[in-house]
Amino acid sequence: MANEKVDAVIVGAGASGSVFAAVLTQAGKKVVVLEQGPDWQLTDLISSDIWGRRIKPASGPFLLEGKNPYGYGYNAGWGVGGAALHYFANFPRLLPNDFKIKSEHGRALDWPISYSDVAPYYDKVARDVGVSGDAKAEEIWRPPGEPYPMAPMKTFRNGEVWRKGFEAVGIRLVPAAVGMNSTDYKGRPACIYDGWCHIGCPIGALANPQATYLGDARKAGAEVRARSTVTRVLTNPEGSKVTGVEYYDEKRERQVQEASAVVLAAWAAQNPRIMLNSATDKHAKGLANGSGLLGKYLMAHFASGTWALFDEDIQNYLGTTGVQFMSYDRYDKTSHKDAFGIPSSRRVMRSRRATSPASPTRGSTCLGLSSRRS
Amino acid sequence: MYEIQRRALLKGAAAGALAFSVDGADVLLTPRSARAQGVPLRTLSAAQAETLDAVGETLVPGARQAGISHFVDQQISIPAEEALLEARILNVRPPYANFYRAALVALNGASERLNGGRAFAQLSETEQHGLVDNMRQNKVEGWQGPAGPFVYLVLRSDAVDVVYATMDGYAGLGIPYMAHIAPTKRW
Repeated sequence: MANEKVDAVIVGAGASGSVFAAVLTQAGKKVVVLEQGPDWQLTDLISSDIWGRRIKPASGPFLLEGKNPYGYGYNAGWGVGGAALHYFANFPRLLPNDFKIKSEHGRALDWPISYSDVAPYYDKVARDVGVSGDAKAEEIWRPPGEPYPMAPMKTFRNGEVWRKGFEAVGIRLVPAAVGMNSTDYKGRPACIYDGWCHIGCPIGALANPQATYLGDARKAGAEVRARSTVTRVLTNPEGSKVTGVEYYDEKRERQVQEASAVVLAAWAAQNPRIMLNSATDKHAKGLANGSGLLGKYLMAHFASGTWALFDEDIQNYLGTTGVQFMSYDRYDKTSHKDAFGIPSSRRVMRSRRATSPASPTRGSTCLGLSSRRS
Repeated sequence: MYEIQRRALLKGAAAGALAFSVDGADVLLTPRSARAQGVPLRTLSAAQAETLDAVGETLVPGARQAGISHFVDQQISIPAEEALLEARILNVRPPYANFYRAALVALNGASERLNGGRAFAQLSETEQHGLVDNMRQNKVEGWQGPAGPFVYLVLRSDAVDVVYATMDGYAGLGIPYMAHIAPTKRW
C-alpha cells in the first residue's frame, strides 16, 4: 500500500530520529517516523524492575553468534523512545584528543572534524534537553564552553562513599553532567531522586525522547507509526535517487512510504541491515556500500563495574541511577602502562534494584568505567 | 489483535499478576498463587519444574514458594516480546524455552553423573549448594549445555525476581519502594 508522499521519512523513533523529527517538523516539513516496536507512553513506565524489561528488545533480527557475539539487550531499546527511553542520561563529552589519534599517536585515523566543531552543539543539546552539571569544574579537562542550564544534581551517600578512595589515589571527581532536571526546566519537573531511571522516567525529569525532541516533533505535527518495520530503502530506476522506504505494519502488511528524504536512525546494527537489504541492480552490494565496508568495523564501547558492599546504610535506593560524579583523569591514550587507547571516564553509579549483582543488601553501590555515555 | 493483547498485558501489570491458563481460561494470578493453586504447567515438564524449584531455592531461599517454576513456565509460554525475564536483557535468543530446557537438562545431567544417578532435586542441601557453586565457577567437569556461570546468572535473576523484586520483596529488605507509577498490587 502506498501512502501520501512526505518531505521526510525517519526510520527509528529513538535518540537520533527524534532530533531529526523535531528539527524538520519545526521547520515546516511533513514528517513520518517509522518505529519497529510499540508506541510507549510515559504512563507505561511502571516502577518495577520486572515490568521495566518490556521496553528492552525481546528478539532479533540479530544474530548473536560467532566468535565475538555482540551483547545488546541491556543497553538497547525497543519501541518509541528507543534506548533513550531507559538510558541513564549520562552526558560526558569527547575530549579534543579523541579526534586526533592519528596525529598524536600515529594510529587509527583522525576525525575530519575537531572538538571545536562539535562544542557548540554540545552546548546546544544541553540547552535543548536540559543538562545539569558544573561546566566550569569540567574545564580542568576540556576547553571552556557555556555553563549548563541547571546546577548539578544532588549527590547521595552511595556516591559520596567513593570519594575517599578516589582521593587516596589522586583521581579528581566532579559533578557528572546528566540530562536530568535538578530544577524545573522547560515545563518539566525537577527530579525527585527515587532512583527508577533504569526503567524509564515517567515524570519527564529525565530527558528521554518523549519528554524532549519527540514530544516537540509530535506537537509540531510529526506522525509516528509504531509497529512499522522498515525492510528497504527504495530508489528510482536509475539508482540515482532515494524515493522512500518499504515497511511492514503491525498487521504485517507491506507498505510504501514515499519521501523526498530518508533518514536512517535505526541504530548501528539496523541501519546497515536496511541498506544491505536495499540492493538493486544499480547497487548490487547494497546502498552506500561502494567500499564494501557497510556494516563492518562496528565499535561498541566497553563498560565494567566494581560493586562494593558497605556495613553502613548508604541508601542505594536514592539518587540518579546513571552517575553522580565523573572523572577524566588518566583519560589520555597512553595513561596506562602497556596499554593504548583506553579512554575511560569514571562514573560513580548506584543500583536501586533490591538485588544488585552483588547481593540483596541495602549497602551496594557501583563504580562504572565506561568509554562513552551509558 | 495486538491492542487487545497489550491491554491484557497492562492489566496484568496493574494487578501484579500474570495470565495463567486454568481449565482453558486465562486468569490473572501471581506466581505464588499459581503454585499454591496447582495451576498446570504449560511448557516445563514436572521434572523440569522440580529441578527449577530446587535450584531456585538453592540460589535464593523462598524462591520455591514464591513460584519460580510457575513464573518461568508462564514467561516462556508467551510471545518473547511480552516476556519479562532477565533472559530478555541477557541476550538469550528466543524462544526462551530452549535455553531453560537446556540449562535444566545440563544441571540434572551433571547431578546424575556426579551423584550416582540422583537428580538435582534429590540431592541434600549441601550437595545442591556445592554443585551450584561449581556451576557458578564453571568447574563442573563434563558440563554439557549453556555455560554454567551464565545458567547461574539467569536462574539466580529469576529467583531474585520472584522473591525480592516485588514490592513485598523490597519491604522485606527494608528498602523504600518509592514508585513513580506503582504497580497497584505488590509487584
